Parts: sequence; structure tokens; C-alpha cells
Amino acid sequence: MRVGHRLTRTLTLRIASVVLILLVISFLSFTLLYLAPGDLVKNLLGNRPSTPAAIEAIRAQYHLDDPFFVRYLDWLFSALRGDFGVSIRLQQPVTKVIESRIGVTAELIGFSFVLALVSAVPLGILSAARAGKRIDRAASAVSLFGLSAPSFALAILAISVFSLLIPIFPAYGAGDEGFDRFLHLVLPSVVLAAGIGAILMRMTRAAVLRELESDAVTFARSRGIAEAKIQRIALRGALIPIVTSAGLILTFIIGGTIIVETVFALPGLGQLLEEAVLFKDLPVVQAITLLVATAIAIITILVDVSYMLLDPRVRARELVG
Amino acid sequence: MQKVLSRSLRRRIGTAAALVATAALVLTGCATSGSSGGDAAPDVKLVDTGKDIDQVTVAFPGSLANLYIGQESGILNYNLAATVQEGLVGQDSSGKVVPAIAESWTTPDDSTFVFKLRKDARFQNGDPVTADDVVFSIKQAADPEASPGIYYYLTNLASVEKTGDDEVTVKSKTPDATFLVGLSNAGAVVITQQKFWEAHKGNIGTSDSLILGTGPYKVTEFQPDSHVTLERVDTWWGGVPKAKSIRVNFIPDANTRLAAAKKGDIDIAFNVPINQAAEWSKIDGMRLEALNDLSYVGLLFDQNVKPFDNVDVRTAIAESIDRDAIADKLLRGYGEKATAIMTPESLSAAYDGKEARKELAKVPQHDFDLDAAKKLLAGTDAKGLKTELTYPNTGPQLGIAAQAIAENLKKIGMEVTVKEVPIEEWLATIGDGKHGLGFMWYFSTTGDPAEVNGYLLGADNPNAFKSDEATNLIAEANALVDPKERAQKLIELETLNANETVNAPIWWGKSLTAFSNTVGVTDYSPYTFTGVWGAKLFAAEVK
Repeated sequence: MRVGHRLTRTLTLRIASVVLILLVISFLSFTLLYLAPGDLVKNLLGNRPSTPAAIEAIRAQYHLDDPFFVRYLDWLFSALRGDFGVSIRLQQPVTKVIESRIGVTAELIGFSFVLALVSAVPLGILSAARAGKRIDRAASAVSLFGLSAPSFALAILAISVFSLLIPIFPAYGAGDEGFDRFLHLVLPSVVLAAGIGAILMRMTRAAVLRELESDAVTFARSRGIAEAKIQRIALRGALIPIVTSAGLILTFIIGGTIIVETVFALPGLGQLLEEAVLFKDLPVVQAITLLVATAIAIITILVDVSYMLLDPRVRARELVG
Repeated sequence: MQKVLSRSLRRRIGTAAALVATAALVLTGCATSGSSGGDAAPDVKLVDTGKDIDQVTVAFPGSLANLYIGQESGILNYNLAATVQEGLVGQDSSGKVVPAIAESWTTPDDSTFVFKLRKDARFQNGDPVTADDVVFSIKQAADPEASPGIYYYLTNLASVEKTGDDEVTVKSKTPDATFLVGLSNAGAVVITQQKFWEAHKGNIGTSDSLILGTGPYKVTEFQPDSHVTLERVDTWWGGVPKAKSIRVNFIPDANTRLAAAKKGDIDIAFNVPINQAAEWSKIDGMRLEALNDLSYVGLLFDQNVKPFDNVDVRTAIAESIDRDAIADKLLRGYGEKATAIMTPESLSAAYDGKEARKELAKVPQHDFDLDAAKKLLAGTDAKGLKTELTYPNTGPQLGIAAQAIAENLKKIGMEVTVKEVPIEEWLATIGDGKHGLGFMWYFSTTGDPAEVNGYLLGADNPNAFKSDEATNLIAEANALVDPKERAQKLIELETLNANETVNAPIWWGKSLTAFSNTVGVTDYSPYTFTGVWGAKLFAAEVK
């Protein structure tokens, strides 16, 4: 009972701080976009002559002459009512626009994250277990390549090899629902997974090595415990930094999606965000920023909760006062 | 041009229209004029098989955000809408104004047009086109809030009204030779149905509402950043086209487009980058067409920014531009040295290509002469000036030219930093009162000779150039009916531009379009893709 109460309190505090952070982020992104170069009116009028009267009419239409704080508060109060406004560029409600894009991006990120996880974690463990051996050196070389190759170059390479040379996968686009979508997402997911997989693999290797060299493991060995069991103990200890880095990496993915979506011509949130920033389509930028911030916050909370499950010390500190 | 770029945008191409498939066509890379670039594909003889085509896949170099040209008016928006929506009038493959929804018109006086509408014109939903629909469409196009991208073409509109069951009378405030082409789909008028517009509360062109027109293709699906699907209809007055459907895919990355073409996924690719021309022309079963695309590239000087208010400074800069080297070497022939702002093609009503070039060459030229430029600059306070020259990321060829220009300006004592920026950011620099030196890159959609120089020298121009003489010359030119007289008047305007170095013309652009040899297009010209191009496609075989 008491434990449950403390957990609730911990979570409530977390959620309250998330709300505060979201508010700060919304203000920051609003300010940055406001200060960014570019001119919404020019984007709407294009490279054409225009009359002062028309420019005035468009400025009035989008409240561009209102003071900065008035515009921010307008946006904020609407957002609090659940109204995120209309995309200026696409002339559609923001919620609708995001709804039509989120699927592709979620599939891409989910797919590449799973791919990175199932390939990098075992490889990292193997590397640590065979530290300095040939397999470790090979794995390190692979991860170095994944880490240092720019996403766009990797994407073009993937298209050249697996779409042109060996025509297994489509070169671009998101395809139709179902298996066709899966086929279209293989290459972009692999490219996105390469960078994060490399980081994850290095993190795993370092964490497992640290555990294997820890006092606990040395002590277990001296007690003559079987090597297999020792490795299990070491792994459990290593899980915490791995989970932490996985959470970090998931947030790191967001930058990569913009590049991958552009090269593979995927209609996702990454391309949408990039275009919205350039166009100064404020409602879209604000909504996506908050969506991403919320996702990161949720991941962080989940990682924290998983600590409690993994680490008896944290569990004791957090739940038993 | 904005999305024209839109990244679209931002990205554009020349365009147009014509009729009737001929049995065998020789398609080479230069229909109208000028030499084509060094990497032009070998001539391919194509034969029309007469068969239907199931689907033509088109690659656009960037996404459209909205299909209504009034909301987003980049060249690609014009290209897409051209085969879906018609204007009151259209243009043939030489740019001449021809009937579209209006089957004929009379001009009782020089500022009144009485249009007789086609009785067989129908919208893609099967409804007949009424005079009320036409009046409504024109009124929406002239409203800056409903149509921010195109209203300017109609600022000279005095009135538009229904004057009979199938008659619409349009009046301009002053006699205006550009007014008629402004009523075409390449200008500002795409006829849509009032009922359709109101059902969507004017919010048309989105992925929910799409667009409704009278052309040979209707839009059945639109997903920004992904694709637009067009299906042929049997309601078009011009007949039923050969291609059952056209799917336009938005592929922003140039390398991905190239890979997709090599894979055989693409039938027509718009805006092939000049630096990839050689690779595209090697693709088996494809041909690369280079055409003058009615675009203009030149330097712009914001006279609100010192020292660019000084004509000597502007002239010194103009004399530091080696236009021949830029056109021949840097653009590899995919561009022609510009002797004026207006293109030779825009004078086609008055002169053929050769004559037009001869006439335009009469405009005073700032020949490349670094010594003269240096001397001229020495007498001003611009020596040692540090400034910035931005160019849009959608025009890498502008970047190459910018580097060459900066190199020369260094020799005369000016330090110019070249900076690539997103197209939207570049747009914002035009006439912003901060960037004294800038690029003007403009795609003329109508091909009218006053479209670009009228913008760059007339009222509301981005150079902060105030000149009653220029304003009067434009008004006088636009009041002239005879094409030759009008051309000569506009040459006077260009002469004024050259004498004052308001703008420094550099080149007239060419666009590269790649076609699969299974698809032919009749009457291919700079006007093809601003006309009903879907109806010009035919199934082809290499002879």
C-alpha cells in the first residue's frame, strides 16, 4: 500500500515537471521560429510583385502584426483547449495533418529501433565477452562505420545496392498499407538503425565490460560460481546503462528521421517538420515540437520506472522511504 | 516562384500546350532556339503506337503543399494544375493565346473583353460550366486573401460580369496587353465550380478537398510529400487522352530520383539538375530534353541599401560578370547569355528566335571588363566593401555562378561572401532593405514579354527603383496592340534598365526534362507543361 502510494507520488511529481517543461519548450520553439530568418508573407506571395494593401491584408489574416506575447498567448490558450490551429502551408487542421503523417514515422522509428536493439545488444555483449579477440575487433569496425557514415550517404548507398544493383527493395516512397509498406520501410529503417545501433553496441560493450571487471563478479568467480551464471549477474548490472542509453538513442533518432524521410521520399513527420520550419508554419512546428517533447518525456519516465524494476538499490530508495 | 520553388519547391520548369498527335516525331533537345547543352541526348525517333497507356509516372523534384495555384503558385503547382484546370483562354505551343473555356472573344474597346463560353464545357464531375462559375472563379483569383499567389495578375481588373447565358464580360482599368494572358491558367485564372468552392468554404487544393476543373484529368488523390494521382475523364471538350492515369511522385532528393529513373520507375522527370545531365542521358531507354524555359537569372540591387544606390557601383558589378563563361562553361550550355531581362521566346509574337536575339542585343550591354569595373569602383565608396550574396538551395547552378562572380568582384576590390540558404529564406531577402546584392531567379509562366521586366522595373519592384519613366514605359507598352511596337517599347524599358543598371541580367535558363522512350509528347515546347500536357502524351516506340 505504502509502496503504491510512493510510486504514485513519484509519478505525479514526474508528470507535473513534464507539463512545466512542455510549457517552457513551447515558448522556446515559438520564440526561435519567430526569430528565424524568412518571411511568411513572402512564402505565401511567392516571387511576384505585390501591392502594399495585399501584404497588409495577409498580415492581418495571420495576425502577424500582433505583439509577440499576444501571439504566443493566443496560441497557448487555443492549444490548452485542444485547438492546435490550421497549417498555413497546407491549409488543413494541424491535428489532421499530423494524424496523416504519424503512422509512417512511428513505423520507421519503431522498426529501426527494434532492428538496432536486436542486432546491437547481442553484438555488444559478444564483443565484451571476447574483448580484444578478432570478433570484438570486427564488431568495433562495423560500429565505427555505422557511427561515422552520414545518413544521407548511407541511404544513397543502400538504394544503389539493394534497389538498383540487387533489385530487392523499392527505391523510394512509403508504398501501400501492409506488406508493401514493410518492403518500402526496410531500407530506410536499416539506414536509420545503423547510427543508433552503433552507439548502442558501444554502450553495451562498455557496460558489460565494466560489470565483468567489477568487484561483485570477481567475488562471484572466487566463490567458484559457474561462468554462465556469472555472465547473467554481469548482464543484469549492465542493463541499467543500456536501458538509459536506449532511451537517449530513441530521442536521438528524431534528427535522423528528417534526413532519411527526405532521401527515401517518405511522407512522415520529419519532412513535415523541416518544411514547416522553413515556411514558418508556426502551428505545425509548435504541434510537432510538443509531440516530440511529450514522447521524450514519456520515454524518460518509462526508463526511470524500469530502473526501479532492475535495480534493487533504486527501488529501495524510491519506494521504501 | 516559390515553391516555386517550393523547395520546392522549390524547383521549376518551363512549360505548355498543343494538339494532335502526329504519327512520327523527331524529338530533339531544342525546339525553339539556342543551342542545347553539351550533354544533350542523341536524337531519338519515336513512333506513336496509338495505344492507351495505363499509367505515366512523373517525378517532381519537390512536394506541393496545395494544388490551387492561388494558394501556392510555384512553377510545379502551375504544371500540375495545367492538365486539370483550364483558364478562360490558354496558350499554344508558341505561347500564342488560344481559346480554352471561352471558345471565342471580341474586344469592343481596348479595355473590354467579351468571352463566349463553350457550350460543351463540363467540370470533371459532369456538371456544365456556367457563366456564374467563370465570374466566381475570376473574382476569387483577384482576391489577395483567397489567392495570395496570383491576385497580382488581376490588379488591373475593373469588373467581371455575366452578360448572357454563355457570355462573360471582363474589363480592365486601363488598356493592357498582358491582361488577356492573365486570364489563362498560366496567368491567374483556373475555372472551378462555385458550388465546389463553397462546399469546401474556399479551402480548396488540400488533400481533403482536392481541386475541380474542366481539363482532361481529374485529381483523385493527393498526399503532400508523397504523390498526386490524376485519372483521365471523358468530360473534356478536347477529347479523351491516351494515358489512363498520371501519378506524380514527389522525390526531393536528386540522387534518389536518379536511382528511381535507372530502375525504370519513372516515365517523366521534371527539373533534372544540370550537374547530373550526363548521368541521366546515359540511362537506357530514356532521353533528356533541354528547352529554354522562359526563366531569367540576374543580379538585383536593392537601392535602399548603400552603396547600391550608386549607379557606378552597380555598373562596376555588372561589368565584373563574365556572362559568356557562365553560360558556356559553368552551365555547360544549359543556359543562354541574357542580353536583357525579357527572353527571346517572350517576343515570339513579334519576332522569330533569331530576330528576337538581334533586337535584344541592341540593348546596351555591360561587357565583361574588369579593368573598367575597377576604375569605376575606385571613384565610389564601395571599394573594400564586404557584402553577402545568397542563393536558394534549389538552384545549385546559381551557386556556381555566384562563386565565379564573387571571384571577379574580389579582383576589383569587393569582398562577397556566397551563401546557400533554403529557398524560403532567399525569398525573404528579396528587397528586404538589408541585402543590397542579390539574385533574381524568375520563371515566367505566361511568357509575356512584360511579365518579368514589369515586375523588376515597375511599381512595387524589389529593387527600390523609383522611376516615372519606367512606369510610363510599361503602361505605354501594355497599351500597344501591335506585338512589334510593343516589343520595341519594352526594349526602351530594357535600355533604361541597362543605362541605370537597375538589374544585371546574366542568363536565360534551360530546363532539362527526362522522358522514357515509351512516352512521347506532341508539340514539345517551353509552353508544353503550362498547357493540357496530359492530353499531349502518347504511347511511343523507338523507330
